[in-house]
Amino acid sequence: MDLFDKIAGLPGLHEQIVAAGSDPFGVCMDKMCSATEAIIQGRNVVLAGTNNYLGLTFDQDCVDAAHDALDRLGTGTTGSRIANGTYSEHRRLEDDIASFFGFASSMVFPTGYQANLGVISALAGPGDYILLDADCHACIYDGCRMTGATVIRFRHNCPEDLDKRLKRLDSKDTNKLIIVEGLYSMFGDIAPLAEFAEVKRRHKAYLYVDEAHSVGVFGEKGRGVAEHAGVLDDVDFVVGTFSKSLGSIGGFCASDHPKFPFLRFASRPYMFTASLSPSNVASVTTALGRLRSDPGLQETLWRNAHALYDRLSAFGLTLAAPPSPIIAVKIATQEQAVMYWNKLLQAGVYVNLAIPPGTPNSSSLLRCSASAAHTPEQIDWIAEAFGQVAEEMHAYEAQNAGRYLLRQSAE
Amino acid sequence: MDVADDLVLRKVCRKLQQFNVRNLDLTAETDITGDLEIDSVAVLDLIMEVEDEYGISFPMNLLSEIRTVGDLVRAIHKQAGAQ
Repeated sequence: MDLFDKIAGLPGLHEQIVAAGSDPFGVCMDKMCSATEAIIQGRNVVLAGTNNYLGLTFDQDCVDAAHDALDRLGTGTTGSRIANGTYSEHRRLEDDIASFFGFASSMVFPTGYQANLGVISALAGPGDYILLDADCHACIYDGCRMTGATVIRFRHNCPEDLDKRLKRLDSKDTNKLIIVEGLYSMFGDIAPLAEFAEVKRRHKAYLYVDEAHSVGVFGEKGRGVAEHAGVLDDVDFVVGTFSKSLGSIGGFCASDHPKFPFLRFASRPYMFTASLSPSNVASVTTALGRLRSDPGLQETLWRNAHALYDRLSAFGLTLAAPPSPIIAVKIATQEQAVMYWNKLLQAGVYVNLAIPPGTPNSSSLLRCSASAAHTPEQIDWIAEAFGQVAEEMHAYEAQNAGRYLLRQSAE
Repeated sequence: MDVADDLVLRKVCRKLQQFNVRNLDLTAETDITGDLEIDSVAVLDLIMEVEDEYGISFPMNLLSEIRTVGDLVRAIHKQAGAQ
């Protein structure tokens, strides 16, 4: 018996997946060429598996702002906001985020993961109830585990199911915190936030929305799905990340609640970690400025998303949700998904492989994401590769089915 | 509590049958993730079906204590009694 017994099955599973070619969970970009291209295994590859929705990672203004901050403020803060001080740049970014959402205040965290851990663990405690959408991200689940609150899952994107579960709590005098996401990262489906907001009002609950994938993507001003649904005022806590549309790393939470700023003294993942590095803060501040001043970025993103979606759907591929910048292709089995993924990489396209238990409903997915930085030629390249691989896979499956029939008739 | 003859046990076993690819004899002692090799997310979805059937909500906090079919059956009785 040893410590590693609990993961004893993993080497075998990993070997099984790697046997089909490359390691989908250990891809190394030998060189990043731009927001949408990299060299992988000596090959020029178009990246369709990032979360770089607005394509800002190589934006000249953002890069310049980061350089300038490095020169002026150094490489790191070497400590936590509480113990070692806040830089005025942290505070400015927090003010910018609060004003972007029209809320009174915000807090920033070193990652999006920590933003969810930090806010959920500080907000809820023993005696409170958390109702979370079944398909919420792992960091939301992890945050809930830190609270000591009673945690109840409701069916994904189902306001009726949430309502039913809240009714069971109506007789209890307790705090109820509803947690959902705006745009879900795996299938690319969006939450019915207007309906959730109505349920929230009726049961006098709090509403917490993680807009990690939807900031810069949904809403007239790019504030996410709640803005898109016209219910931003019903959201008590909006959480998000800097590592997707804003092209850096970090996370935030904004709220109108007058006592929200005091979470700084209650949130362990906020207090006991080093603060965001100055260059991160600078590039995010600049990226947020770009997002606010340039609606063309979102338009280009959606044009690319629709173009890719239409092309993939014309090949007869099964897409998991209506068009959005996250386009997930459902593949019948895990084995086929792994083969598909390898063939796409060989054809010069990188997408994300998602397999159970990391996916809802035990599905296997090839997850693509569109970026405002994709050129029409790159969208074409991605689509052509899918078309070619779909044909190869079709032939392979037909051959396999033929073999199966032959074997059956022999038996 | 003896669950061997329980109606809830029979209902739970019927629900678990879809995952029983190795055709095991399902009893109160069957280990849900170990013997049936159901992944953790599928277990949570199964729990939701059970919740609907009995009109109860299972706090996730309790799930870590449920290992066998018998544990699940006892937890259903407890929640149904409490709610």
